[in-house]
Amino acid sequence: MSLKLSGETARSDVPGYKPDALIETHQLTKMYGSFGALNGVNLRVMPGEIYGLLGPNGAGKTTTLRVTAGLIEPTAGSVVVSGFDATKDPIHAKAHIGYVAEIPILYESLTPRELLEFEGSVRALAREAVNRKARQLAEAFEVASAFDTPIATLSMGTKQKVAIIAALIHQPPVLLLDEPLNSLDARSSRILKEILSLHVQRGGAVLFSTHVMEIAQRLCSRIGIIFGGRIVAEGDLDQLRARAGEKDATLEEVFMKLTNEASEVENIVKMLRESFFVDEDH
Amino acid sequence: MKTTDAWRLSAIPYSEMAFKSILQNSNNMWWGSFGSGSSEASGREDLVKRALRIARFDKFIITAFVMVAAGAPFLPQALGASYGISASVTLSLAVSFALVVLYGVQTLSSFVTSGPSPVLSTLPLMREDVSLVNLLSFVRTSDYLVIGSVACQVFFVLLVTGSALSGLFMLLAGAMNSVVGVGVALWLSNVFYRNILGSKQGKRGGVLRLALLLAWGVVVLGIGVLFAAAGYLIPLVQSVLASPDALTGSILSLVYPFSLGISVGSVSQGFALSSIERIALGATVGYLLVAVALSRWSMTSVSSFPEGASIATSSGRAHETSVPLRGPVTAYAMKDLRAASANLPSAFLFTLPAFETLVILLIRAYLPALGASTLLVAMTLGGMVSLILPLVLVSSEGTGFDFAKTMPLRVRTIVFSKALITTAVFLPAVAVVYVESLLKPLTSPFSILIPIASTVAVAAASLLEVRLFLGFAPSGRVTFALQEFARMAAGAGVVLLPAIIYVAAYILTFNHSLAAGAMAIVASAEVLAVIEFVRQS
Repeated sequence: MSLKLSGETARSDVPGYKPDALIETHQLTKMYGSFGALNGVNLRVMPGEIYGLLGPNGAGKTTTLRVTAGLIEPTAGSVVVSGFDATKDPIHAKAHIGYVAEIPILYESLTPRELLEFEGSVRALAREAVNRKARQLAEAFEVASAFDTPIATLSMGTKQKVAIIAALIHQPPVLLLDEPLNSLDARSSRILKEILSLHVQRGGAVLFSTHVMEIAQRLCSRIGIIFGGRIVAEGDLDQLRARAGEKDATLEEVFMKLTNEASEVENIVKMLRESFFVDEDH
Repeated sequence: MKTTDAWRLSAIPYSEMAFKSILQNSNNMWWGSFGSGSSEASGREDLVKRALRIARFDKFIITAFVMVAAGAPFLPQALGASYGISASVTLSLAVSFALVVLYGVQTLSSFVTSGPSPVLSTLPLMREDVSLVNLLSFVRTSDYLVIGSVACQVFFVLLVTGSALSGLFMLLAGAMNSVVGVGVALWLSNVFYRNILGSKQGKRGGVLRLALLLAWGVVVLGIGVLFAAAGYLIPLVQSVLASPDALTGSILSLVYPFSLGISVGSVSQGFALSSIERIALGATVGYLLVAVALSRWSMTSVSSFPEGASIATSSGRAHETSVPLRGPVTAYAMKDLRAASANLPSAFLFTLPAFETLVILLIRAYLPALGASTLLVAMTLGGMVSLILPLVLVSSEGTGFDFAKTMPLRVRTIVFSKALITTAVFLPAVAVVYVESLLKPLTSPFSILIPIASTVAVAAASLLEVRLFLGFAPSGRVTFALQEFARMAAGAGVVLLPAIIYVAAYILTFNHSLAAGAMAIVASAEVLAVIEFVRQS
């Protein structure tokens, strides 16, 4: 089943663009003054793929997602979503994106119903489709009872659920999720994982950032390890193991190796062990 | 914990609370990548820095303003006027009370919604110590204001009367007034932010929100009227209070803060009390008891905030989830109205153009006919006041604007929606003028075109202003302020030009029909030009 929005044909003016990728970044660069948050990120996410962006704090995961979502403009490079250049044609690109931020970004004085009304109207969605989807998702994430409560007063977990519903309501082919499981309870996490699985089965693509190795290992078809604003390695677990030269290693071990943090972490752990008991004696 | 330590420690939760309130009432622009040359990288940083700066200096500026307002009613006596001070004390107390309430409602929003500092409760402190620190951080919200206004009042009473006893009474009355003001601010914040914003929306909530907005408006306008008419009101009220047998005086002596004003005034004249003064002193004792009760309630409320029970979100049974849909411009406008009305001060601004026009018409009520000059002044000033709205609407986007930026939205959708609201807000002002024209004859029938042309000019000005506000956010504080001013000045120019054309055409032709026609043509040309500018940009 195709996930293109009705009445639109994907296109791109970017040279060498292969139309089968739903997300493609080319030499994506974002500078904050002299600091390079992204230093030439290249990645392609194909239909039916969950691509996990794995990296330490400040590596550039959130910036990659924010640039791809059109929240911030890249200093250089390009982002193509569903064939639309996100910088040159942000309207069409954004129509194909559902985005969930690490900390939910919502109009907090509105209620979830008002927020979805706003979103559905601005996106010019069909009333029946919005209502059907809203009912399904509200029941799935147990937020129906909070539908008329101002978002500002909801718990962080419920805000996150509202943000997820808002990202899914228009059934976009591309989902950009920044640590989406952070505030969710076990039930909602399970439901979201199921939704992501169904989404990619229908030909959608997910770009997913996380710190949690187990989640990345279980959920993602491919993983990109980002460090210092660059993708230092990508592939499935076997490919990453091969790249790290660590056969049978866990993703955590591979990650430490590829980000050159293994020896540093070992030294810190050693120091902590020594000082921990000394402190206790005192 | 020693009180001095608690006082020192309370500075941190207070700063955090003031910062959060300002951030909550987000009065900053962060438009990010909608315009060219956007500075989205520094936008959030600017927002935080600006909120911190306001949190630090806001209180000093407001205190200076309150001191001027509290001292101004005493100027006639200080400059040699011979009448008593009861009316001046009353006016001073009324104005400082209103300002303490207005400032308190803004500052206490985050205090009421999330408590002063949840971090405090996680530290190894006794519960009583946490409560004490919270109480003192609450005191910090209005400490300078209260001390400044009371000191000013006591100073002027001592200066005018030379009586230490009057000064002492003024100190007591000022302290009571402040305690009641802070208590009322806390209560209003509780009602507005907790019971309306913190609970499910419904008709009752809507009515209560509207009632509070109107109450807010009455207080703000009341301050304006008190200031505008102080020179006329003080001698008038003083003469009423000075006549010992007047029924009005007896009734006023029971009303707050007249009771306090009369009591302070009576002490300055010795102990030969009139019946009005005796009633006022009795009422003052009653208000003293109210102030004590209110201060106790405030302290209990503030101490209970760390328990995190300030906002109770209702979690009922499963609910229907139907979502109504509209056109993009209407939906954006609805969102703006909902977001802006969640904040008392900004919501009140929606009523300001109509109030402004009404005030001008009332000022000119003595004229037998509704002349073109009255209509021009009323509509132009009403239009200028409306132009505050684009700034308020863009400001109320706050950090939620990120949500809009993830959607396939064109800048012109946002521009048209905000201009639609601004123009709609101006329409009640037009209605006020037309109602007035039914009650009074027009000096020229063609003058009736003036409100229509003014509405078109306001639409053009608001389109231009919103587009300019959404354009780009310059870095640099001075550049930012200059840009803000330039954008508003551009809007004001668009509103003024048709009125100037009317005046010029009338001076040249002495013909109202030609002048009104020229005004309408210029306003129409403005709106067409601005629409084209918005479409192309």
